[in-house]
Amino acid sequence: MKVSFFETAHYHSPRRLPAEWPVPPKAYNHEAGAQSYRGMVERVQYVEELGFDWVSVAEHHYSPHRLTPAPIVSAAHLAAYSQKIKVAVLGPIVSQSNPVQVAENLAMLDNLMPDRLVVGLLRGTTGEYLSYGLNPTEARERTTEGMELILKAWTEPQPFGWQGRHFHFRTVSVWPRPLQQPHPPTYALGASRESCEFAARHHLGLGIAYGPFEVMGKATRYYRDACAQYGWQPASEQIIYRANILLTKTDEEARGLLEAQRAPRDSFPLRAGVREALLQLDSRNIAGEARAPSVGGMLPTNFFGKPDTVVEQIKRCGDEVGAGVIDLMFQVPGSCDLSFLMGSLELFGKKVLPRIREM
Amino acid sequence: MTQVEEAFREGHVEADGFRIRYLTGGDGPALVHLHGAGGLRLTPGHDLLSRQFRVIAFEMPGFGHSPENSRTRNTPELAATMGEAVEKLGIGSFNLMGTSFGGKTALWLALQQTERVLALVLEAPAAIRPEGAEPPSGSPEEMARRLYAHPERLSPISPPDPAVQAKTRALVARLRGPNRDADLERQLPGLATPTLVLFGTVDRVISPDMGHIYKELMPNCHLVFVYDAGHAISTDRPEAFTEVVADFLERHEAFVISRTETVIHP
Repeated sequence: MKVSFFETAHYHSPRRLPAEWPVPPKAYNHEAGAQSYRGMVERVQYVEELGFDWVSVAEHHYSPHRLTPAPIVSAAHLAAYSQKIKVAVLGPIVSQSNPVQVAENLAMLDNLMPDRLVVGLLRGTTGEYLSYGLNPTEARERTTEGMELILKAWTEPQPFGWQGRHFHFRTVSVWPRPLQQPHPPTYALGASRESCEFAARHHLGLGIAYGPFEVMGKATRYYRDACAQYGWQPASEQIIYRANILLTKTDEEARGLLEAQRAPRDSFPLRAGVREALLQLDSRNIAGEARAPSVGGMLPTNFFGKPDTVVEQIKRCGDEVGAGVIDLMFQVPGSCDLSFLMGSLELFGKKVLPRIREM
Repeated sequence: MTQVEEAFREGHVEADGFRIRYLTGGDGPALVHLHGAGGLRLTPGHDLLSRQFRVIAFEMPGFGHSPENSRTRNTPELAATMGEAVEKLGIGSFNLMGTSFGGKTALWLALQQTERVLALVLEAPAAIRPEGAEPPSGSPEEMARRLYAHPERLSPISPPDPAVQAKTRALVARLRGPNRDADLERQLPGLATPTLVLFGTVDRVISPDMGHIYKELMPNCHLVFVYDAGHAISTDRPEAFTEVVADFLERHEAFVISRTETVIHP
């Protein structure tokens, strides 16, 4: 099992923020922001020293929780301040990007950090559609087409035009070419039927997130079956499972903290009318089975407890989900105290990591 | 008779000892079309193109219900016959479009009549084929899965007449030539005709990976992928197909410059 640290540039506001989305930019504190970005560097260096295999970054807009609107900028910065840890961009929100520009930026990044770049491509969560004015009913189609165009932009040896449904280019001719050939290790992110099928068709990995093991296992089985239909078999490293983790010295401590977390903390809900309208327009599924879309709300914590307990949970995850990479979002309960995070990382590096290597 | 066919009228022309059938519609610059191995069938693409061009879609000798053609020995000969047919219609210079098998014929015709062919459009051309490529065959359902990206979205196509099919298969087998035709490929670097090569991203007959080879061989060639289209691009995505073809025929290489206006409010 390989382990990835999900870096989100934790922002800790010195004062209570308005509980609404979007949060007014005037509430932003410059010193807290600068500290968020210094923290990214400290953490990547620490997890590298502890032996983590990857650090991952994501794209989120207008979010005080995660100051990472530009994952490619995050990745370049983290790579420059570390030596060998792989940097996973999980990932550009393809539905609202210029796919050719994504292909260019990632190709450049691949050259700037030889053999260290991992790529995940995704549609984006329902709430993200508001940031750039994306029509929710077009999000899936734009993602599928955009992903296909990114792969073509990386691999076609001659200039070409693209006569798409959502993207039109008369000239695509990307320089530089990716250093990793034919392109960096790439994952389709999402448990949907569309995501699994796209990944299978293009021999990509699959990234799934946060769901219970048995449900995510359904998606990975669907993916494996689809790969078999296309005549290939994914390696275990081609399945990433992203999850929240709350690692503590004792199980009791973790249970207590989880309980405390149920109480509302900083959250930035959409206005009800916007939320309802948005949910009606979005559609989601897991391996073809419809599921309700969601906006905001707490994500489950899939790994929690003392190191022994978490090792067992990770083993179960490997068995049931078939993941070869776990991408971990370390929880910082309530207090916003980042020393807790650093402590959890240390505990993970010393007591968990050595025991899950051989899984 | 489909709606598309109603807008086209049928004609015949004598050329090279053959009586050649064609369907024509629309006004404007002449656009000659040479069909694929399955024979002449009008698509929504013909209809859309006929709004800007005088489209002449030929049925090449030996295809469809025309008499068996045991005389034509190879694609260059077929191309010469078709060049004469165009001439007999009183058309001097023209745009030429070839689909699949017809793409190879069109390439030969462009090589033979460089002066007359203004621009060339190759829809999923079969002039350069991957190793081991065979013409698609099978039941109508299997054929549909090979030809179209989403056969389930199309209205059912009437099954071909078995006699016509057998006759056509034999003709195509004789004329299609090797998958890599050295004689043709040697001449392509000398063909300066503005050329647009189109491949659907889900072509299950000829891999879209063949596209870049035309671009490498031909000095004035443009390659465009039509997203989510199969081998029959003009049936799968007629509007997207027509937009790029018409733009290319109008502007040739300047078609790379966008004319799309993005002002939302002035």
